[in-house]
Order: sequence, then C-alpha cells, then structure tokens
Amino acid sequence: MNIAEEHISISGEELTLTNQRAIFWKRENALILSDLHVGKTAHFRRHGIPMPHDILEKDLHRLEALIQYFRADQLIVVGDLFHAEVNSDMDKFKTWLNSFDSLKLLLIKGNHDERSRHFLEDLNIESVFQWVNAPFVFVHDSVDDTSDFFSISGHTHPGVLIKGKGRQKLKLPCYQVTQKQLILPAFSLFTGLNTHDSPKDAVHYAFTNSSIFKFE
Amino acid sequence: MSQFRDSEGLRIINNWMAENGYAPFPFQLQTWQRYANGYSGMVVAPTGFGKTFSVFLAVVIDYLNHPERYPKGLKLLWISPLRSLAKDLAKAMNEAIDAIGLDWTAEVRNGDTPTAARRRQERNMPDILLTTPETMHLLFSQKKNSRWFKNLKCVAIDEWHELIGNKRGVLTELAISQLRHYAPKLKIWGITATIGNLEEAKSVLLPYSDLKITEIKAKQKKKLDIISVLPDEIEVLPWAGHLGAKMVDKILPIIASNTTTLIFTNTRGQAELWYQLLLNAQPDLAGLLAIHHGSIDKKLRNWIEDNIASGYLKAVVCTSSLDLGVDFKPVDCVIQIGSVKGIARFMQRAGRSGHSPFERSKIYFIPTHSLELVEVSALKEAIKDKQMESRDPMVLTFDVLVQFMVTLAVGEGFKSEELFQRIQQIHAFNYLTKEDWLWCIHFITKGGKTLNSYEEFHKVILEEDGNYRVKSRRISMLHRMNIGAIVSEVNVMVKYMSGGYIGMIEEFFISKLKPGDSFILAGRVLELVQIKDMTVLVRRSKAKKAVSPSWLGGRLPLTSHLSHYLRLKLSDALQPGRLEKELRFLNPLVSRQEEHSHIPKQDEFLVELIETKDGHHLFMYPFEGRLVHEVFSALMAYRISKIKPITFTIAMNDYGFELLSDQPIPVDQENIRALLSKENLMDDVVASINASEMASRKFRDIAVIAGLVVQSQPGTRKNNKSLQSSSGLIFRVLEDYEPDNLLLKQAYTEVFNQQLEEARLQQSFERISKSKIIVKHARSFTPLSFPLKVDSLRGTMSNENLDKRIQRIKEQAFKID
Repeated sequence: MNIAEEHISISGEELTLTNQRAIFWKRENALILSDLHVGKTAHFRRHGIPMPHDILEKDLHRLEALIQYFRADQLIVVGDLFHAEVNSDMDKFKTWLNSFDSLKLLLIKGNHDERSRHFLEDLNIESVFQWVNAPFVFVHDSVDDTSDFFSISGHTHPGVLIKGKGRQKLKLPCYQVTQKQLILPAFSLFTGLNTHDSPKDAVHYAFTNSSIFKFE
Repeated sequence: MSQFRDSEGLRIINNWMAENGYAPFPFQLQTWQRYANGYSGMVVAPTGFGKTFSVFLAVVIDYLNHPERYPKGLKLLWISPLRSLAKDLAKAMNEAIDAIGLDWTAEVRNGDTPTAARRRQERNMPDILLTTPETMHLLFSQKKNSRWFKNLKCVAIDEWHELIGNKRGVLTELAISQLRHYAPKLKIWGITATIGNLEEAKSVLLPYSDLKITEIKAKQKKKLDIISVLPDEIEVLPWAGHLGAKMVDKILPIIASNTTTLIFTNTRGQAELWYQLLLNAQPDLAGLLAIHHGSIDKKLRNWIEDNIASGYLKAVVCTSSLDLGVDFKPVDCVIQIGSVKGIARFMQRAGRSGHSPFERSKIYFIPTHSLELVEVSALKEAIKDKQMESRDPMVLTFDVLVQFMVTLAVGEGFKSEELFQRIQQIHAFNYLTKEDWLWCIHFITKGGKTLNSYEEFHKVILEEDGNYRVKSRRISMLHRMNIGAIVSEVNVMVKYMSGGYIGMIEEFFISKLKPGDSFILAGRVLELVQIKDMTVLVRRSKAKKAVSPSWLGGRLPLTSHLSHYLRLKLSDALQPGRLEKELRFLNPLVSRQEEHSHIPKQDEFLVELIETKDGHHLFMYPFEGRLVHEVFSALMAYRISKIKPITFTIAMNDYGFELLSDQPIPVDQENIRALLSKENLMDDVVASINASEMASRKFRDIAVIAGLVVQSQPGTRKNNKSLQSSSGLIFRVLEDYEPDNLLLKQAYTEVFNQQLEEARLQQSFERISKSKIIVKHARSFTPLSFPLKVDSLRGTMSNENLDKRIQRIKEQAFKID
C-alpha cells in the first residue's frame, strides 16, 4: 500500500489528507474517516446477493496500516460506521477493534448507524450526533453553514469529474474543501461515487492509488 | 385426412366465417388440419393475414370434435411479447367464441392485470390465457402452480421473431420446457414473420425429438410502396443527431391526404420533438394528433390505441411501441422519420398501413441527415433482392438460468439432476456442462467461490426431500420483483403536484435538471418542482424553451445486411443510376466529400486524419454497423497504443468511428497496413476487449437479471436503499475476488457473440487486406466525419499511467463538473 500525503492547514490546525481515504489530525493524534459501512457485504448476502467477505477485510487492513503508519491512537468516524442490521461482519469488526490495546473510537452517528445502537453499547463505542473540538465541528452530513466552526463531514461519498482535451473524462474520489468545511470521501471501497453535489468554491483533492492531485 | 375435412368442428368454423363473408386462407386450413393430426409447428405469415386465427381456431376445432379430451381449466396458453397485443387479441378471441357459441373465456394476465382479477384466475383459470414470458415465470414462482397447467393442450408463441434474438427468447424456451414438464403431451406452436433464419427459429422453439413438427407458410405477399421525401435543397438537411425540422412542411400534406397516419421515430426523445414541431406548424391538429411511446401512461396509451382503431385520430407520432399489435384498420399511411437500421423492421413498420390482405402498404421515408438517403437507397435494393436479416438465438445465458432456478425454488422447488436433464434439452443450454450446472447450484445456495461458502447467504436451500427451495419470504419477494430479462434504465414516475400521472422518465435525465427547469414529456411542457421517493412532481410550464428528454436505450445498430448494401450504394453515389433519385439528389454532398477527402470505392478503405482545437482525430469507415465498429475501434486503439502510450475517446456510428486524442496519433501511410492487418486479429481483439469498457457494460443487464443488483421500483417508498449498488461496482468486485464467476465470463462472451460477430469482423479485415488503403489529411471535417464529431456518446480507452494522464490534464486547460 502506497500512502500519499497532502498537508493542509485550517485555522492553524495541521491536517494530513491521504490517498487512502482518511485524514491524520496531528494535534489529537487521530485518524478522521467516514462511511466505513461495516456490515454492508453481509447485509447483501442475507438478502440473497452474494458478496465476498474479503471486501471488508481489505478495508480493515487498509485502516490498520494507516493506524500503524501514523501511530494514531484515536479514530474519529464521521458517520455510517455501520451499514444496516447487526450481522456477522460486525463480529469481524469487533474482533478487529479488540485486537488494539488502546485505540479510542469516537463515532459521529450517521443515517445508517441507527439500527446498530445496541451493538454500539455492547462495543463500548462512544457515539454522538455532533462533536465540537474547536476550531472543528464533526458531523455526518453538513447542512448548517451558519455554525462558527469549520465542519468536517462525510455522507455524500464525493467524487470529481475532470474533463480534459480530446474530450477526456476521468472520475476520481476526492476530498472537498472550502473556507467553511471539509467533506471526506467514503472509506469503504464498496461504495459508489457522487460527482453531482459539490459545495460552492470547493477545492478538490482527488487521488489515485499512488498520488493526490489538487484541483481548484 | 378426409375425416377432418368432414368433421363437425371444421363445418362450424367454416359456417361462422362464411356468415361474416370470409373463407379461410389455405395456410389456416393447413394449420387446423395438422393440429388435428397431432402436430406441433411454426406458422410463417405476415401481419394482417389472420395468423392468430390459424392456431387459435385449430384448438377450437379440435375441441369441437373431441370435447371429451378437454377437462375443465386452462386449454390454450398464448404467449406474446407485448402487453398491448394481449388486450385486443383477447377481445377478438372472445368475440369469435361467443359467435361460435362456445362456453369458453379468454383472459389476459400480465403486469397490468389488477390484483383481484389475478386472484380470481388463480382460483379458476380461464380456458385461454394470454400472457407474456415474464408473467409465465411469475406464475412458476407461485406455490402449487403445476395444477394450473396439467390439462394444458397447446402453447402458442406469438411474434416469435421478436423474442428469439434476445434473452426474452431464452425465458420463453425455459417456460415451454417447464410447461412440458407439467403437461408432457403439450403441443407447441410458434407464429412468426419472415426472418432470415426460419429453419433455425423453428429448431430453437421446437428442440424436442418426441414431437411431430411441421412448418406452414402463408403464400400471400404484401405489396409495398416506398417513397422517400426529399428536401427542397441539399443544404436543408442537417447533420446526424439533429432533426430535419424543416421537413415538417413536407409531412403535413401527407397527413392531410391520408385517413390515418402513423409517424414512426427511432427514439422517444425524437417522438416528443416531432410532436411539438407538427403541432407548432399546424395548431389545428391539436386533439387529432397524438404521441405514443413506452414512457407514457398506460391509460393514455390505451385511449390512443382505441382512437386509432376508431379512426378518430388523424395521426400518431410513435416509436417501436406501435411496431407490433393488432390491426389498426383505418391506418393507410406510415411515415418513417430517420433511418430504421434494418430491413425486417422497416418492412414491419410499413406493414402497419393498408392492413387488410389485399391492400398496398405505403411508407414515406423522411431522412434526418444526408447519409440516410443512401440508406433508403440501400433498403430498396435489399427489399428488391428479398434479403431479410437473421435473428440469432442467444445461448448459455447464465443470468437467465440462475434466475429461472431461483424462480422454481420460490415456487414448487426443484430436484437438481432432474432439472439439469430438462435444461440440457433446451436450445440455449444444449452445451451446458455438468460443471457449469454445479456452479449455478453453488451460486444460488452458497453464494459464489466454489471453495468457501458465504456465511448468512441462504438464498436457496436444499431440503431433506431433495428439493431446492427458497424459505425466506423477503428473498422470495425481492426475487419476484426482479423476474424478467428486460433491463431498463432506472425510471422515475412523473406526476402533477395536483395529482395525475403523466409518464415515466429516466432518472439519468432528470438528475441533470434543477427545480424550475422545464422539460417535455407526453407532448406537454412541464416544470420540475421536486423529486421525492422516485417520483418527479411537476406543474405545467409556460416556458418557451424546454429540454427534450433523452432515453439512453434508443439507438439501434445497423444490421450487417443493410451495411453491405450501404457500402455498395456509397461507391455508386458518384455516378448514380438514372432511377436512383436519392443518390442523384445527394450528388453535391458526395462531390464535396470527394473534393476535400475521398469517396471510397468498393475496393478501397478510407482513413482520415484531421487536427482541430479539440485534438487529433482519426476516422475510419468500415461501414459495418455500430456494434462491430465498437469492437473495431477498440482494436485500432489497442494496436496504436502499442506504438506509444496514449489515451483515446472513441465515438462510432453505423458508417465508421473516430479515435480522438489530446496527443498526435502515430498513424501514417507507412504503418497503416500493419495496423489494419489481419495477422493476430483475434488475439488483439481479445486483448482490446479486456482493456475496454465493453464487458463491464454488458454486465449491467447480467447483474440485474441474475439478481446481483436490486432495481428500485418507481413510485414506491420501499426502494431497498440499503441494497443499492451499481453493476460497475459489482463487476470490479468480482474481477478482484472471483474472476472465475460464470456471470463475469458471460459478459465477455456476450461481447464476442453479439457485437463482434467474429465471422463478420474476419471478413471485414479480409476485405480490407485486399483493398487499397487511402489515408487522407483533411483540413476540416468532411461530410463523412462530421456526424461522428457531433456524436456525444463516447467510450474511453487508455494504456497510459493514470497519474501521468491526470498531470497532463492539469497542465492543459481542465474543467471540473
């Protein structure tokens, strides 16, 4: 796995965007990510659509590699940690989470997380709808732009469509950053891309398996 | 035989016909007789000659002669491809039944049938049931469905030529096999129009060695007048993709001088546009002119069909939605706007006018761009030579097979070995191996990869009695929603704010509009208010400008037959024959092509290189039809990219294709022969298909049919959002984790079998190898290349490093969407 980094500074806070769909926040020694959708493949299987387990395992391997690379001791998940009902994928996640000695997980609840409330309690995961740690406010879906804080959110699975000469078109996952907010790409690879909704005047940090590209 | 001639049943029918002033056609009589003698078979007859009454009355006569052989319940099952056909057929059958004095009923069952009627049928089946292949499979998914079919005497497959070439044909083959399982003595009769491979069509429908099989052909021929309508001057003709709106003035007099005119367009978007154009040009047509296509509300469509039949409507703008169907007696004229892309389809549409056996059919052809005039000239030649296209049956469609297996498992269940034996008898699965079969069983019971099973995946379960069954209600429900082989774009319902349903529209189109924008549907200008629960709420709009929707599925490829004639005609076009008015008319345009570039003669192959501000263009004109050009262009892109890493966007039409790049294309007189060489042809084709997006596109339908992608239902709240995923995503997942998946392999096979037509491609390269290759550098777009330039449907192929590519786009001017 190749980790490409792009450093940005917001109100004096240093954030490291990576091409592996998570941000490292130096001050809190935390990884920020969104839309992991644990349980999605098992949810599909339960409804008669065969999807391999390996998809989740690959996502978790990638997260583990990021944790080790940055020596992070905290995960801030801005929503949709879980996809649907409690299922066997969740047990895999539980085992994975328990294999860390001291990894703190803070969940900002998203629309998909409601159905796994008991499981969250069982796992001892702290969960809130919104979390303020100045200068940031962490939410799942940013709607309110009157807030005094810079919002960090997910939910939309942002992507960007780039058009070049010779009618070339490329669709890439990205981070969207404005003066007021940052939207994270979906962490799970088993998700689609949404290239329709982009906040006004957003800078797009698009990435590939090896690099990050800034489009403004 | 004389026994049948003297039979009571035949006498009753003959009398009934005579009372109405008819006598049976020879082919009808022949069908009745063969049926009475225990035959199954295929009737070949054009529409309008009473083909329905051949098979339907055969069963009636046999019943009249031997009522004791027909227990209560379903006797004749009538499967036709179109819902709209069934309603009128049932009406005609019931009228005949009443007049003859039978106590039978004929009823329709399809997606439009109300629940109450369906429940009643399930308690008490009618004597004749008219239905579709999809509804048959839905019936098989019901508990204890075999009881309905055990006394069935005959299954008739109407319009078999419309089914055989696609997956609905495979659904039909499977349905027949299942019916034979329930009623082993069942007779099977197909009814078809003339196609190029009648013999094959018969053996696909009737592969069973225990049947007595016959073929009956109607001798009657339809007289046909083809009239092409030319604009006043050639400059008037706009380019491909744009409509010849100025031709409106030519259409109005044709409408005025006929009783009822059907105006066929090739896409729903074009139908909407022409409807507006005609109304604007002659406002007093309002109320007498209607628009009919598949996205318009069913009730409105029924109203339109009734009012064509009654002669109230003067003209109807329509799409293939009116290709088939019962006779609209008043229709005496057909107008075809734009190329129809195939000989058989053109004949079919022409046949919608002058419907009774002894009338002439009359079709006017309105070109929408210049080259279509060459096409109509080619069409005339092909019809003169009596050349009809073949409809090739599909084979080894694993998506349809696994769907069928789950359907049976939801219904009465199946035993593996026994079903395998039956499936192997079907034409589509003659070559199904035991190994493939076991993979399918594994796929529906364990999920996938043969080595490990998926936890929680219990779609189909092997029960102790040896039957495979579905136990979960939710899975049964999801499966029933998904039965069928027609995969449409995701559609959303369009409704007025105040209530009132207008029609359906593709989500892809609506997603590009914002609230307040106006668009056209069903001939009305509508303003988008909001989108909610797969429903678009609109109000009437006064806007002058509105977008006309584009439906993605609208384009038909040119058939190989027609393209052959097209190539001949184009090389003729420099010296047109005296009687070929289309070619004479085109002469100025052809001369321009010759002047700025070249007109390829029969033994030549033209390559054009043009540089514009868009980039570097390469055009080639094999004239093999859109589908083959997709493969051909990918192959060229692949071979060129071996010279240097390069990215192409690719556009194609029926005449040729374009490779466009931001970098110079390394093609010249020196290397062109090697690029077009027939050496290593198939190896390079395989490599280029793997490198392109073709298989992934084919996988879209496969994923839906096999139940890997759950389609959301328009207008319902239950859109199964948590189960949404795209076929593209699943395609990538399978390529990564399960490359041996048969459904994935099927996607590649379909590219080969359906698009590539290996023989056709080989021939084409054979021809090119003997041709003189002409490379021309043109300074601007030529008459042949321009239609390709404006085409917006494009694919991409690249063998460049992605990072380098992005970097270069960044350095050039780029745009973000």
